[in-house]
Formats: sequence, C-alpha cells, structure tokens
Amino acid sequence: MYGRKACQLVKELASGEKGQLTPYNSDLFDQVIAECSQHHLELQSLIRKMQEEGLDVQTTRNADHYGALIHHLSLVRNKRCLMAYMYNRAEIIRSLIWKVGPVLPQQIQEKLSHTEEEYFKKHSGALQSYMSRLDLDLTVDMVPPKDPYIQVRVLDDIGVVLSDDKTTNFARHSMHFLKRTDAEQFISRGLMEELTS
Amino acid sequence: MASEAGEGSTAGMDDYETLISTTDVELLKKAWRNEKAAPEILRFETSLIQRIRGQIQLMEENIEEFAGSGIDPLTVSLYQMDLDRTQYLFRSYLRIRLQKIEKYMFHISKNPEVQSRLSEQEKGFARRCADDMERHLEESVLSKLPDNYQDTVKQSIISEESDMRFSWF
Repeated sequence: MYGRKACQLVKELASGEKGQLTPYNSDLFDQVIAECSQHHLELQSLIRKMQEEGLDVQTTRNADHYGALIHHLSLVRNKRCLMAYMYNRAEIIRSLIWKVGPVLPQQIQEKLSHTEEEYFKKHSGALQSYMSRLDLDLTVDMVPPKDPYIQVRVLDDIGVVLSDDKTTNFARHSMHFLKRTDAEQFISRGLMEELTS
Repeated sequence: MASEAGEGSTAGMDDYETLISTTDVELLKKAWRNEKAAPEILRFETSLIQRIRGQIQLMEENIEEFAGSGIDPLTVSLYQMDLDRTQYLFRSYLRIRLQKIEKYMFHISKNPEVQSRLSEQEKGFARRCADDMERHLEESVLSKLPDNYQDTVKQSIISEESDMRFSWF
C-alpha cells in the first residue's frame, strides 16, 4: 500500500524516548525516496498517455487522470512524512546542544546522518556567534542557584585545571568545594557529580 | 534582591542599596516571568537589559573589593548569592527567548511584526537558524525528490499557495 513505509518512518520518531534520537534509518528513508521516484514516473507516463490520446490534461476526468492524481497525492504524502522526520530529528538535535554542549558523545553521534552532523555543527556555530556578540555564556547557570558553592565528587579523571587564580588537580574520586558556575560545565558532561547531603 | 535598609551604617551597605536599584531587578523578574509564561516571543527589553548588565558588572567588582577588604565573609557570600540569582534571571531570560526563536524560526522569518520584537543580535540568530534549517531540509530530502516537488513551502509546483502547511510555517 502506498505511503506505508513513510508512515513507518514517522512512527519511528514516536517510538524513541522523548528527547532521545533513534538511529537514523537511512534504508527506510532511501526506500521512501525510491517510492517517490516511482510515483513520479507513473504519473508522467499517465499524463503522456492522456496527451497522446488528444485529451486536455487540465480538464479531462478519466481513469488515467485519477490514477495520476493518486500518484501525485502519494508523492506529496511521502514528502510530508520525510520532511516531518527530518524536522523533528533536527528539533531534538537542537535540544542536545543545550543539554550536552558543542561536542557530542560518540553514542549520540552514531545515530546521526551525515547531513544531521553538519546541521548540528552549523547550529552550534550560530549559537556561539550569538553568545560571543553578547560576550555572554548562556550554557551555564541552567538551574536556579541554591548555593553559591557546592561540593562535588570527580567521576572521571579531568586532570589539572586552571581556574581564576589557582590550579586544581581534579583527580578521579577526589572531592572539591567549587563555585557552582565553575562546576556546572563538568557536571553537565557527566565528569563530576554534585554531592547533596 | 533584598530591599531592606542596611542594619549597620557601613559605607558598603549604602553603596549596595544605591548600586542595585531594586526596581530594575524587579523589572527583570517580571520580564522573565512574562517571557516564561508567554507562548510567543515578547518585545525585547533593550534598555532594561543594558542597565542590568552594567549593574551586574558593577556588583561583581564590588564583591571582589568587599572580599578583600575584610568585610564579614557571610555578608560577602550573601551579596554573592544575590548576584548569582540576578545573573540566573538574566541568562534565563535570554535563553528562553533563543529557544522560542529556534522553535518558531520560519514563522519569525515570514512575519515582520514578530521580527520587530527581537534584538539586533537575535534577528541575526533567527536568520541563521532559518537558513541552516532550509539548507538541511533541502540537502536531506528535497534534492532527492523529483523536480516539481522540491519546494520547501509548496507541496508541488502546481500548488497555488504555500500549502506545505507544517505547524511551524
């Protein structure tokens, strides 16, 4: 049945967890594109048939006309599904920039198509450009502050970090008392955790 | 931010009162609340944001001074918290607006009235957003479709209007 594959593609979007990407289904995507080309060929051949029979394509309403119409409508339906698929994935990609930052972890990157990776980089750049024009980092301070300083435990070896006027060695499992804004970038990347005792 | 009169008569306290005009922070809070609650993007508060930026910077400098000048560290950390809260409001206000722009990029690009509500930098960001998205859709979908079906806003070349009516157009 026409349009079934495209419907499947869109359903995949719904099947993922909210805010999470499913791996890019390039197989299904290409199949839908192929279906579209097929529809287009059929449509064109039906139109040509009508023209060869000397009928006015714009006004004649015969079986061929309706056949061509079905192909056209299926094509448009597929187009709509494909665009919805790409657009909704792009929406999730944009939300990832806010959550995870300008560099994507490997497991997320695997789920993107090549064009999506490009889009991620471009959008990240647009955001960076806005922030640098304002001279402000908008990716910190994501939650309302409760305490100016928090206790953190380091999860992954970060090494020596220069901050303000002192250098600290963030070795694995060490605990530190940091300014919230300094710690945030590490916490959001999963390298530190806040100790809320 | 705290608006009570200073308990002591230290010069620091009085300066604090005059430096952080309570009204501006209240205005920022109001603007932030409005922006958070409104489904569409509201008018950018240009002068308020400019003033708040200046005040935040001034306050940061003062806190550094206070920290070095031997004022009670508890007091300093209270000022610091106050400053943190203002900074959070400030950043969150700008962030919420950016996220709205991302969400409605095409609507904004086609609607000059909505565009007039953005700051200059936001306008630039909105334009880039819409361009990037169009490029992305073209490369991934439209360029692979048959001719006559490659337009972003029209379903096909025989459509009389922009009938690719997605919820964001």
